[in-house]
Amino acid sequence: MDRARKRLVASLALAGLALAALPAAAHAVPLSPEAGQSPNADDSTTAYWVLLAIAAVIVVAVNAALIVAAVRFRARRGREPARVRAGRRIQLRAAGPLAVVAAAVFVFGIVMTTRVSDVEPSGREGLEASSSRTAQLDLSLPSGGAEPLRILASGQQWLWRYEYPDGTFSYYELVVPVDTTVQLQLESTDVVHRWWIPELGGKFDAVPGRGNQTWFRADEQGTYEGQSAAFSGTGYAAMRARVRAVPVPEYEAWLDQQSNDIQDAQDAVQQRVQELAGAEAAAAGGAQE
Amino acid sequence: MSTPPTAIFPPRPEVVTDGYPERRPAWVQLATSGDHKAVGLLYVGAALSFLVLAVCELVLMRVQLIVPENTMISAEIFDQLMSAYGATAVVLFAVPLALGLMGYVVPLQIGARGTAFPRLGALSFWLYLAGGITLYASFLYRPPDAGTNPLPPLSDTAFSPTAGVDAWIVGVGLATLGFVLFAINLLTTIHTQRAPGMAWRRMPLFSWAATVSGYVVIVAGAVMVAACAMLLIDRQFDGVFFDAGEGGSPILWQHLSWFFFTGTYVVVLLFAFGAISEILPTFSGKPIFSHRAIARCFVAVGPLGLLAWMQNMYTAPIPIGWTYFAMAAAVALTIPVGLLIFNWVATIWNGSLRLRAPLLFALGAISTIAFGLAGELTYSVIPVGWLLDSTTIAQADTYYALVGGAVLGGFAALHYWFPKLTGRLMGEGLARASFWTILVGVHVMAIGMALAGLDGQPVDIYRYYDGDDLGTYNLVASVGTFVLAAGILLTLGNAAYSARRGVRAGADPWRGSTLEWFALSPPPPHNFDVIPDVRGTEPLRDIRDAVDRRSAVVEQPHREPARQAGPPVA
Repeated sequence: MDRARKRLVASLALAGLALAALPAAAHAVPLSPEAGQSPNADDSTTAYWVLLAIAAVIVVAVNAALIVAAVRFRARRGREPARVRAGRRIQLRAAGPLAVVAAAVFVFGIVMTTRVSDVEPSGREGLEASSSRTAQLDLSLPSGGAEPLRILASGQQWLWRYEYPDGTFSYYELVVPVDTTVQLQLESTDVVHRWWIPELGGKFDAVPGRGNQTWFRADEQGTYEGQSAAFSGTGYAAMRARVRAVPVPEYEAWLDQQSNDIQDAQDAVQQRVQELAGAEAAAAGGAQE
Repeated sequence: MSTPPTAIFPPRPEVVTDGYPERRPAWVQLATSGDHKAVGLLYVGAALSFLVLAVCELVLMRVQLIVPENTMISAEIFDQLMSAYGATAVVLFAVPLALGLMGYVVPLQIGARGTAFPRLGALSFWLYLAGGITLYASFLYRPPDAGTNPLPPLSDTAFSPTAGVDAWIVGVGLATLGFVLFAINLLTTIHTQRAPGMAWRRMPLFSWAATVSGYVVIVAGAVMVAACAMLLIDRQFDGVFFDAGEGGSPILWQHLSWFFFTGTYVVVLLFAFGAISEILPTFSGKPIFSHRAIARCFVAVGPLGLLAWMQNMYTAPIPIGWTYFAMAAAVALTIPVGLLIFNWVATIWNGSLRLRAPLLFALGAISTIAFGLAGELTYSVIPVGWLLDSTTIAQADTYYALVGGAVLGGFAALHYWFPKLTGRLMGEGLARASFWTILVGVHVMAIGMALAGLDGQPVDIYRYYDGDDLGTYNLVASVGTFVLAAGILLTLGNAAYSARRGVRAGADPWRGSTLEWFALSPPPPHNFDVIPDVRGTEPLRDIRDAVDRRSAVVEQPHREPARQAGPPVA
């Protein structure tokens, strides 16, 4: 092993060490995506870190090679370029490791996709234990146990509307019980919208005429902010969404309250309509006389 | 009257014409010519002009995003800038710059006297220009506002009733039709008019890149022309191609348009790869490490890149198997692109590098494209795509690839072939200043955008709310964008100045080894008086050696023949 090769190995080892320390350092440096609060978000974040490390190795290696070459082999008096061409096997020897990396990334990608699409059952604090699997469109739900909480999220310019299993609905803010698996059916009434709460997993399109779905399980109470991520017209920048995860009793109380509020509002509207109709009829009767 | 040296030059048959054609003004000649050099110059000139527009739009958008909740530009105007910017940067700048330089250089490289269908070449330029004018004419009434890629139903008349969206569709459709015709002309020329002896295995690598790009343009461009026609029918004639309620499918447009936009990405990268593969050997004084391997990598990059179009649709309601297919194609690209970079590094290793502007830009292009494609590998993994798609970190990554390919790679090609195009060299000092400015700018911009994206900033928003340091990150991204813009304008200024005032360049200022340097600078209309026989991948080097041997005025040192060798790092 000659000197140049030793130096190369040493620098590669150093680069490797630096990369091993990268995830730890990156939490200090703001290179991490928003902290996951749902199992699928956690898995996506893991995949992100692994791929970021691979990408960093590639970028560092390429740039180091370019810089070393540019500095070391600058034209100088008396330097004769070596007119070297590739030997026979060298391309295969270079392609081999690349193919291994590509295959590994592909397999890793499929494994992680399956994990993210596996709907996990609700936890013990949750509304009702449930489980199943899905790859968004092909979500596969956990076998046995109770169904997850199914909520219909419908995008419209420029607001999300959520419909709960009992027919109650809300706008902008989705209230869910904590530690409960929520299966979100996505649909759109006008243009393409993209559901996204960064802390609760990936983003998925709501396309008119095409159903789509995703899931999450908020592990901790709190308010999670997000924003639609598909351009949908003038009001797009204001198309925000919020998920509030609350304890089960609070969720049930909120649902009752919301249901009553809607009923009251509808009654009030109905009453007002009847009043107006009555007044109109009276006015019409008065006019006839 | 002296007698010609008949012993050396045997008498040649001469063509006697009935007088000269009328001399017309230079611009009329340029505009009415079907000559590939005139068409190429028009393409390059128009593309660089549209680059100025794209830079202006980008700078305006970034000014708006400097501070949170800025009210300087309204949502309407921001959406219009954004919609025009996307089409301008990709369809009106990046692709035509690549095609223009290919159209100029490739016939010279393969030793052709012209192209197969000169008038088709001219028509293609005027279609492209008509497309650009159609798009920008809408600024007189109502610019398009349906986004960088106008997805139905948003781009249907129900949600975008203004004529600007029609201008976008017609503009992009016309320009793309022009590109398809251009590619037909270029490919026919490459297939039928190569110099004697120039087998495929001896064809210069830039011409190889142009061949693969040509096929990609024909396949992807034809799809986009059809898609634009369908969307226009939907809007103007009550069509239902993309209308979910009537049995059409909004997803169909996503497939067709992403197929095209992925194709443009591939064309831009192949163009840069081809230029890099010419520049590195020329400026390192070495032959390319493996001509055959690089040509094969180009052939692999074309179809693999195109097949990865659904990488843009991970979040769409399509079956999971399709996304696996896209991931497989995208991840497989690692192999040919990795091999390309390996071959490039091996080419400059142990060379004698003249760090002139073209080499500087080429090395910068490799570095920047490496950032972009490493990021692309990251997003090709489906859960990471779900996480980061359509955030500004994904956008930063696209900028890396496109600035690396179209701007740094494009400028490398521009500096390299500028003496051939104009007969003059571009200023070296300005070129260096421009290079470092662009390199610093693109990294600062990308860092700001990446950090904002990781904090959850989606693309295409005209304002954001402060929180999680978004204000700081956007400020950084904006400053980087301004630096990048300044660097781009420096090179454009340099080109404009040098075209008239630059140092005169001879036929072969860089000691190139391909045939375009055999022609005069700029070449005469028929390109070559004599078309040489081609015996290898470096025909001009062979000619130079033959001249040296025959003239034997100075004793030439014996040239060491190229030898086979192991890894270059040894």
